Amino acid sequence: MRSTFGPNDCQLLCINSSQDGQTRHKDTPWSTFRSDALATEHLGRFLKLDVLNEIKNLMQELSSKHIIPYMEQKIRLLNQQVSSTRKGFRNQFKNLWWRKGKEDALDTTNGPVYTFSSIESQIRVLGDYAFMLRDYELAVSSYRLISTDYKLDKAWKRYAGVQEMIGLTYFMLDQSRKEAEYCMENAFNTYLKLGSAVQQNATRCGLWWIEMLKTRNQIKEAATVYFRICGEDLLHSAVMLEQASFCYLLSKPPMLHKYGFHLVLSGDHYKKCDQIKHAIRTYRNAVSVYRGTTWNLIKDRVHFHIGQWYASLGMYDVAVTHMLEILASSHQSKTSQELFLRDFLHIVQKTGKTFEVLKLQLPVINISSLKVIFEDHRTYASPAAASIKEGVWRSLEEDMIPSLFAKSNWLDVQSKLIPRKYKESNICVAGEANSSNVEPQNDEYKTSTSTGDINSSLVLSEVDFSLEGGETILVQLTVTPRVEGILTIVGVKWKLSSSVVGLHNFESNSVNKRIAKGRRKPKHSPSADLKFIVIKSLPRLQGFIPSLPEKTYAGDLRHLVLELNNQSKFPVKNLKMKISNPRFLNAGNQSYLNVEFSACLEKKLNVEQSGGHANAKKMLQNVFHFPEDISVQEETSLSWPLWFHAAVPGNISLYITVYYEMENVSSIMKFRTLRMHYNLQVLPSLDVSFELSPCPSRLEEFLLRMDVVNKTSSECFQIHQLSSVGQQWDVSLLQPVDSILPSQSLFAGQVLSCFFMLKYHRKSSTSEDSNPLFLQSDVRLGPPGNSEALFDVCSSPLADFHDYERLYQGMSCQGNVDFVFITQLWRGNIDSGAPHRPLLFSHHVCHCSLSSFSPISWFVDGPRTIQHNFSASPCGVNLKMTINNSSDAASSVHVKTFDPPSSNSQSIDATASQSGLPLENQVGWFSIPAVNDTKVITTDALAKRITKSVSLESAPQFIWTGSSSTKLKLQPRATAEVPLQICVFAPGIYDLSNYALNWNLAPIEESQGEANKSSGECQGYPYYLTVLQST
Amino acid sequence: MTTTACFIIVSRNDIPIYEAEVGSAAKREDAAQLPQFILQAALDIVQDLAWTTSAMFLKAIDKFNDLVVSVYVTADHIRFMLLLDSRSDDGIKSFFQEVHELYIKSLLNPLYLPGSRITS
Repeated sequence: MRSTFGPNDCQLLCINSSQDGQTRHKDTPWSTFRSDALATEHLGRFLKLDVLNEIKNLMQELSSKHIIPYMEQKIRLLNQQVSSTRKGFRNQFKNLWWRKGKEDALDTTNGPVYTFSSIESQIRVLGDYAFMLRDYELAVSSYRLISTDYKLDKAWKRYAGVQEMIGLTYFMLDQSRKEAEYCMENAFNTYLKLGSAVQQNATRCGLWWIEMLKTRNQIKEAATVYFRICGEDLLHSAVMLEQASFCYLLSKPPMLHKYGFHLVLSGDHYKKCDQIKHAIRTYRNAVSVYRGTTWNLIKDRVHFHIGQWYASLGMYDVAVTHMLEILASSHQSKTSQELFLRDFLHIVQKTGKTFEVLKLQLPVINISSLKVIFEDHRTYASPAAASIKEGVWRSLEEDMIPSLFAKSNWLDVQSKLIPRKYKESNICVAGEANSSNVEPQNDEYKTSTSTGDINSSLVLSEVDFSLEGGETILVQLTVTPRVEGILTIVGVKWKLSSSVVGLHNFESNSVNKRIAKGRRKPKHSPSADLKFIVIKSLPRLQGFIPSLPEKTYAGDLRHLVLELNNQSKFPVKNLKMKISNPRFLNAGNQSYLNVEFSACLEKKLNVEQSGGHANAKKMLQNVFHFPEDISVQEETSLSWPLWFHAAVPGNISLYITVYYEMENVSSIMKFRTLRMHYNLQVLPSLDVSFELSPCPSRLEEFLLRMDVVNKTSSECFQIHQLSSVGQQWDVSLLQPVDSILPSQSLFAGQVLSCFFMLKYHRKSSTSEDSNPLFLQSDVRLGPPGNSEALFDVCSSPLADFHDYERLYQGMSCQGNVDFVFITQLWRGNIDSGAPHRPLLFSHHVCHCSLSSFSPISWFVDGPRTIQHNFSASPCGVNLKMTINNSSDAASSVHVKTFDPPSSNSQSIDATASQSGLPLENQVGWFSIPAVNDTKVITTDALAKRITKSVSLESAPQFIWTGSSSTKLKLQPRATAEVPLQICVFAPGIYDLSNYALNWNLAPIEESQGEANKSSGECQGYPYYLTVLQST
Repeated sequence: MTTTACFIIVSRNDIPIYEAEVGSAAKREDAAQLPQFILQAALDIVQDLAWTTSAMFLKAIDKFNDLVVSVYVTADHIRFMLLLDSRSDDGIKSFFQEVHELYIKSLLNPLYLPGSRITS
């Protein structure tokens, strides 16, 4: 080697390994150069000390004797070269000239390509050498020289590189900081402009720059530079952002917000490139910044992401603690809440444990809707009945419950701590209402109660239910104590998705709590309301009506059965029942229990009529007493018939209370009540209306028009019968039903008008046995061949309902007619309870008034056609006027007859009535239409006119004979006859209407609302008499 | 990013007492809290700047990407911070002055406790 390279250039280095590496060096050879080199690392432990020194010497000699002289030589050479080409005025000029020509030749986007030997490259090398040898002045000058060149050539990358070097050189020179920073920024911006291809360069440049700033304690600026370094590469920018955040932390004063923000940003970037552990590390740092912050979105975000990431790492416990932080806040939007909750539940499920989350008020319990329902002497058939206001029941039970018990409120008693009242079980209803923005969809909540004092022998209920978002449901939880003692309801506990346990304590926030029952004294604490004294069990009846329809049509008449069930060991007795709406529901007779419906309603020949009415009087008191001998034995049930009649359309609430007493129980609570509540919807079916008009030609006969409208949408009713209630009225059809309604059924929307003749059937003076069968008070409207029996409206259920109808439809006053219209519905599609059997509908119309006309009715009877020989004598005709007083008061009637109009100074009344002018309008003298004029006009052959003219013409040809005015007194509901006589002088047709009746009702002692006329005047109605000349 | 604006009133203790977000941008779920982050981070700079100038309106003091934070500091160091993606100093300044008036009005409300959340 020496021979080849020459002795001066070669040196020998002997390296011998020491034995066993025992040689210890005091310090590492690098310790002077690298402060952070660890002393524990035994560098060169196998080298002997002198060998080390030899190595050191060799390297120093190499660098000082060979490398540095070489570089210096190189610099000299290059400097000479550069100064020869570029320095001096001549060269500058030439350079410009030359460069111009060059510009045209190469114009690529990256600037011209510089070969190593080109002068620019040489200058750059010169600068680098100078920089390495710490000849910064030279370096700067050479760098500057080429930087302008590169700039002119648009060789941006090289330009940026040179700028970077200038910046560094300035920094090393430690003068003109501005300059250095400017250069670095220039270089950095240039790199950034060049795009992602020089990303690395940009990063390097940025890092240089940051180091520069850091050494000058401009850490804040360094952070911004870090932030600017961030590029598209996620991991890269994540690291940079983290560094930036540390810069903010280190800056003085520490900018904690920025620190946190950048940590979060970098965490997000880490997450995006799947460096979850790094992400968590940054977020954990950020959490320490944001702990206790009120910037809610930030907090949510941080905790949520940490929780999520921990969960993805499988560290569920930590995840849960973070997730818990964000759950209870109320400010979040619905979507984010749902997201949080879903993730939370997901995580919790993964942990496989159940957590008690007191913070999470989910589902929200509407505490004001909390009701504790217990039963003392009041028992309820259904939960719905329990939610009815106490006042409703109280008013219903008023006259049934002994007053001693009705007055004393058991809560009052209990507050005195006298355990007198008993309860068997209570039901607490936790009204669970969920505020709209808390609920996720399709989450299932499992709820169970927990109660306090009595630990054993309690039966608690668990309810499983699921809540949709924004849904509110009512949950009923029951507690059934098994032993005697004191029961306190503490709160409600629930499990969310079978993992998260929530607890709601009623005591803590029971400000608005209301107890459903009882008047509460103000001094009561709410806790007293939740405390119960449990006593031994008592009989408790359970009752229900199995076939009560929920939806029916108005008029529906049904036979129902009330079933009372006694499941305890003691019999109960002395049952009473009260129904809130007797118009709809009525207790029947026990004999009806097993009869077939609608057959029992049919008319029987030997049924006793008066029984129903007497019963009805009793029923009006609304309390139904079960027979004394009825008692419900232990573990048996009692059935009792009920009649149901849907009286009016609408939504009907039926309240039924059954009162019963315990036998041989020595407790203070001797009685209990069972409360039942049913809601039913009654749809309008048939609209029946009647109109009565007096028959003019008959006394006490009326024309009855029945209008029936089928208001249902689809049902088809078969009409069955029309009955008038009472025994004084006789109904008959004017024309057969076939001609009005061939099909006998009313289809939906169909209107039917039917005319009947109604005759008042006067009871014979010997009124003992007016056989009702002879009275045609019922009219069959069904098909003629139908042999079905008519329904008896006077027997129990129909008559009872009718009485109630009368009560409701108006005041009961005599002289009015009530009708019952019965139809059948064959299709049982309302609630398909009895599809094979026709549903029976009865419509009761009461108080069809007869009093639209005057209380006095009269009827003129006499011969209609008379043959008389006028040559012999004027003809006298005897007429008979029958006057009926249909009112309740005695009346005096004054019958006046007027002379025919033209005979003498005619009475104004008659003329007025004939000309149809109201009397009041004519004052003093007025022109009367001349009879002659009328005669002239009425020469045409109109029959009516003729009769009129004839009557006018012949008017003077008859006069009233006999007394011109008759006065008589009529007793109530009496009839009198007044003889009348006329004298006719010539043959013709006469209208005997020129008379008037003045009637005056004597005032009755108590004016019972008969506010109609007490006096009046009636004009006579036409009565035509034909008198012929007999030969 | 489309036009968006986030306005927050920050109390003396760095607690936001009023937040309003205006913008037509259909926000992504993960971008909802970005304005808060930016504005909160800008608090540091406000801290520095607020004592260097006597003007209440601090102009645009910070920016993140293309979002600019403008701050107005009242006499009792309540900070109105507005995050905008476009800058028009005059408009922002008049906006801040208007808000300042409104804020003073709400301060005059005897029921309003200074530093508590403003609800309207």
